[in-house]
Amino acid sequence: MLELDALSRRYGDVVALDDLTFEVPTGQLFGFVGPNGAGKTTAMRIVLGVLEPDAGHVRWQGAEIDAGARRDFGYMPEERGLYPKMRVGDQLTYMARLHGVEAAEAQAAADRWIERLGLSERADTRVEELSLGNQQRVQLGVALVHEPSLLVLDEPFSGLDPGGVDVLAGVLAERAEDGVAVVFSSHQLELVERLCRSVAIVNDGRLVASGPVEELRRKHASRMLRVEVEGASEDWWSEVPGVAGAGDREGAGVLLELHEGADDQQVLAAAARAGRVRHFGRAEARLADIFREAISA
Amino acid sequence: MSFGQATALVARREITERIRQRSFLVSSAVTLLIVAAAAVLPALLGGGPTTYDIGVVGSQPRAVAAAAGAAGSETDVKVDVKRLPDRAKAEKQVRDGDLDAALVAPRQVVSDDKLPDELAQALQLGARQVASGEALRKQGLSRAQARRALDPPPLRTRTLAGDSQDSDQRKFIALAAALLLYGQLLTYGLWVSTGVVEEKASRVVEILLATLSPRALMAGKIVGLGVLGAGQMLLVVVLGLALALATGSLEATGGDVAPVLLVLLWFPLGYALYASLYAAAGALVSRQEDLQSATTPLTVLIIASFFLSFSALNDPGGPVATAASLVPFSAPLVMPGRMVLGEASPAEVVAAVVLLVAATILLVRVGARVYSGAVLRTGKPVKLLEALRASRS
Repeated sequence: MLELDALSRRYGDVVALDDLTFEVPTGQLFGFVGPNGAGKTTAMRIVLGVLEPDAGHVRWQGAEIDAGARRDFGYMPEERGLYPKMRVGDQLTYMARLHGVEAAEAQAAADRWIERLGLSERADTRVEELSLGNQQRVQLGVALVHEPSLLVLDEPFSGLDPGGVDVLAGVLAERAEDGVAVVFSSHQLELVERLCRSVAIVNDGRLVASGPVEELRRKHASRMLRVEVEGASEDWWSEVPGVAGAGDREGAGVLLELHEGADDQQVLAAAARAGRVRHFGRAEARLADIFREAISA
Repeated sequence: MSFGQATALVARREITERIRQRSFLVSSAVTLLIVAAAAVLPALLGGGPTTYDIGVVGSQPRAVAAAAGAAGSETDVKVDVKRLPDRAKAEKQVRDGDLDAALVAPRQVVSDDKLPDELAQALQLGARQVASGEALRKQGLSRAQARRALDPPPLRTRTLAGDSQDSDQRKFIALAAALLLYGQLLTYGLWVSTGVVEEKASRVVEILLATLSPRALMAGKIVGLGVLGAGQMLLVVVLGLALALATGSLEATGGDVAPVLLVLLWFPLGYALYASLYAAAGALVSRQEDLQSATTPLTVLIIASFFLSFSALNDPGGPVATAASLVPFSAPLVMPGRMVLGEASPAEVVAAVVLLVAATILLVRVGARVYSGAVLRTGKPVKLLEALRASRS
């Protein structure tokens, strides 16, 4: 388990992280979401030791992280980085060696990942001569070649075509099945919802929600209503007590979000006053809804 | 993985990747060719004796040609004598270019074109010796007595301003050493900084620093390129010396070769100092375009030191040369020349090395701090003080 414990970090006057605490379990995919500038990259850099926190701790399997523990981590930074003039095979071998893998095993691991990522034809090509998509694959290979037990990926899906997304998702799921802790950040909430068992949502450097996606959805679902009212004005719901806001319109209906503890029967009565109620029921909460509410709170 | 292992891994990558670059191989080959040419040319142009093929017809001409050849050590002319049966054959071979000239009668030389002056002189000398020998024999001297009279032992020479031939040679060696050190320091220093910028510009540095300390990354880069630079320099010096000695461009004894090899030791000393500063300069910028302005102060320092070393060749014992050979920035370029010229006292050499090592230890630490503080900052060039402050926290 990876623990981020009360991490704080400032850049001059800007607060990047403010008392950020959450845990990433092993053996599953973990989504790390938040708007731009929320502090995701800063948090990941601190985990990888590229950046020092002003306060707080990072622990892996219960122990404070040191250089030795980090050798067992795999990292894909948001700003992708490879040696442009180095050949694909050499690059992967070198990165494995830097993570403490012995020479012969590093070579074998590089060959294995080149094959797995479909780069066999390109093993002796310089990285700068590869297409962007293939460079992304090499980048993933660099994060994986030493068989890390923690994978930290900053926006790994950005810039991938649908086929690339599937390949990456497959590789990550397979790693998680092997017991690896996989944490990645993304703005594609549908994707996170589909792949991840747990998430952490950050805003302005603070944690606003975290835990298993199912749990977050269940908690949220009791407060989401889908209501279809015939003959009512567009914003019939705006004066109804207990309604926090409306989500997307869905056909003739509207998705309403209630305040915590609000009475849905009051909403039903208000809807009946506004027009003929065609549909009234609990709506399935999506990660996007949870995210939106968490961020606006 | 220890600091040493990490440094070694980085250093090995620097060496193997650099050696595989075509530009490196080409420039190394060109350097070696230039050095080979510089070592061989003096022998081809000015130096060694020229050999002439001389045909002789009859016994008298043969004696003259032999005497000319024997006197050759003084005149830089060597003579290969070829006996021919008659005048016609001799003239034909001269015309065909098989012979440079032929003595066809006691007092007649034929050549295809104008007889070279040095050969004419040598033959004249031979003729004079033969004639004098005959005259002396007629006066009743024995053959041995006549030879002693005609061929006294060579004069012994002593120059009051030291051995001038030797000092010219030493000056040449000192100049070559300064040029070589200057070229290596400038080239390899710049390679360190472009390597640092390459890692920053490609952002690979963030991945590297997730497994390595900035110090190990910087040290590995400096050590790797330094080993390469020292190896290349050793190759150049060994090749140059071997060719120069083999062709006779350099007439050296063990005493002359030793200072040349000592020159090599100044490369690691000077390189450690400059390379750590070049690494720090590279870390301050994020794009190759910004690198030039960041490294200009260092480049100017090296060029200025080179000019100082140049002027020190003319006045190696003067106050400017003495001072410049002690200041750590110029010492690696000025002191080797003064050592080769025999103008540096052992105390001065020791003082220069101690000062340089002390300065290097200090500047490597400053360089490493600037590097650590700046290497992850991308975008605009980082100010020196900001980098130092960032690495303090």
